[in-house]
Amino acid sequence: MNFKGTILLVDDEAHIRKFVGLILKQLGATNLVEASNGQEAIAIYQRDNPDLVLLDISMPMKDGLTTLKELKAIDPHCVVVMLSSIVTRQSIDEALALGAASYIRKDTPKEEIAQAFNEVIETCFEHE
Amino acid sequence: MEPPAAQSPAPDLKGRKILIVDDDRLNIRILSGILRKQGYELADADSGEKALEVYPKFNPDLVLLDVMMPGINGFEACRTLKQLHGDACAPIVFITAKNESDDVVEGFSAGGVDYLPKPFQPREVLVRIRTHLQNQLFAEQQKLLVEQLSKANAAKNRFLGMAAHDLRNPLASVRGLAEFLRDGVVGQLTPDQLDLIETIHTASQSMLRLVNELLDVATIEAGELKIFPESHNLSDLIQKCVYLANIEAAKKNTHIVFAPPGQTPHPSIDAAKIQQVVDNLLSNAIKYSPPGSHVAVELRANDTHCSFGVKDQGPGIPEGERDKLFKDFGRLSVKPTGGEKSTGLGLAICHKIVEAHHGTIMADNLPGGGCEFSVTLPLNS
Repeated sequence: MNFKGTILLVDDEAHIRKFVGLILKQLGATNLVEASNGQEAIAIYQRDNPDLVLLDISMPMKDGLTTLKELKAIDPHCVVVMLSSIVTRQSIDEALALGAASYIRKDTPKEEIAQAFNEVIETCFEHE
Repeated sequence: MEPPAAQSPAPDLKGRKILIVDDDRLNIRILSGILRKQGYELADADSGEKALEVYPKFNPDLVLLDVMMPGINGFEACRTLKQLHGDACAPIVFITAKNESDDVVEGFSAGGVDYLPKPFQPREVLVRIRTHLQNQLFAEQQKLLVEQLSKANAAKNRFLGMAAHDLRNPLASVRGLAEFLRDGVVGQLTPDQLDLIETIHTASQSMLRLVNELLDVATIEAGELKIFPESHNLSDLIQKCVYLANIEAAKKNTHIVFAPPGQTPHPSIDAAKIQQVVDNLLSNAIKYSPPGSHVAVELRANDTHCSFGVKDQGPGIPEGERDKLFKDFGRLSVKPTGGEKSTGLGLAICHKIVEAHHGTIMADNLPGGGCEFSVTLPLNS
């Protein structure tokens, strides 16, 4: 992967941030920032203006869909990829309708996550 | 010898409600007299029309119904009550001087539970009424029990779903992080350390599988299994599953062989769900075949249907256990050949998924040993 932009990884579960973070690092990502909830994600987005946001769907308090709406209101061009666990198809469809670029299942083996991530990068940033 | 006194009703029948319908006020008075002594609560009506009017207000547990009355007769009143109240209708006992065999037959056909001749014997009337009230009470209790059980079952499914959902992510991370350690991403491990990590990985892997299956069962039982069908290349899907399953199979020196057909069927399926079915059938074939086996996967299609089959070299399905195959927790007496785990949920889930695709799943023992599981799916043009 030759993606050198800043990635914001948002998930309320620390073990997921660690796991997905390790995969991203192994893929060569160097600029990784983390947030553990939607509120924090929005604050960090405004501060760091990351190139890509990986956003968990189900989080307590402010869930992924609400956070996505707010991010899109701040920056209509922000690239957000949802992190889903059980394939709650409705939430994914809703997220895609709200402007999410794609989704990745975080509960699959790391090779599959890595492959899905590579595909996302190719589709979202191929024009660059 | 003294005839036995009519038994008074069991205490739990006191206060049960009886509606007496007769156009003859004297009959109502006599019946009321003997029934009131038993502690029943009573209401009366002097015509069929009146009975239909009183019934919903009084809500009786039993109706004593005369047949010959001006206006609508007892049979008609009975049919109307049954129509209006269906299964919830109280038992209806005819009490009438119209006693030809044909009349009795018509009374039962109209939905009555009993037929008492007039002039009546009070003691006989009492025992018959008591029996019907008791049956009615049992039926009510059963209904209540079924309602409570289905509520408890729904609560169990919700709990199962929640527990499985919350266990899933941490387990996936344990497995994933173990993979990082195993693959030496954070430094080389000694053989002993590697052995421990392998154990953690295998344990979390099998727990994750169990949790996934429990979650599937909870989803299916709650009636929330949703299929999102799209046209898919079934051959490609099977090939992908076979490729992954062969990695597991290699550990038992087993080979899965799939020769795709010349023309590939494109059924309308939920790919993730059908993949789950294929994965399950392949993993069963590996699990129950002795090491060094040969598992054959076949895909066939005609104009209206396509089907795929998985042939293993295991012990086959034992006689008399066939009906357990596709049931929840329906583990058979056959055991995995490599100490693998089995929850007994896999095939039940496959069955539900295939059913949701309007397809069928079958299992047959093969003449030369082993068995074949086959799934048939409709092809819409």
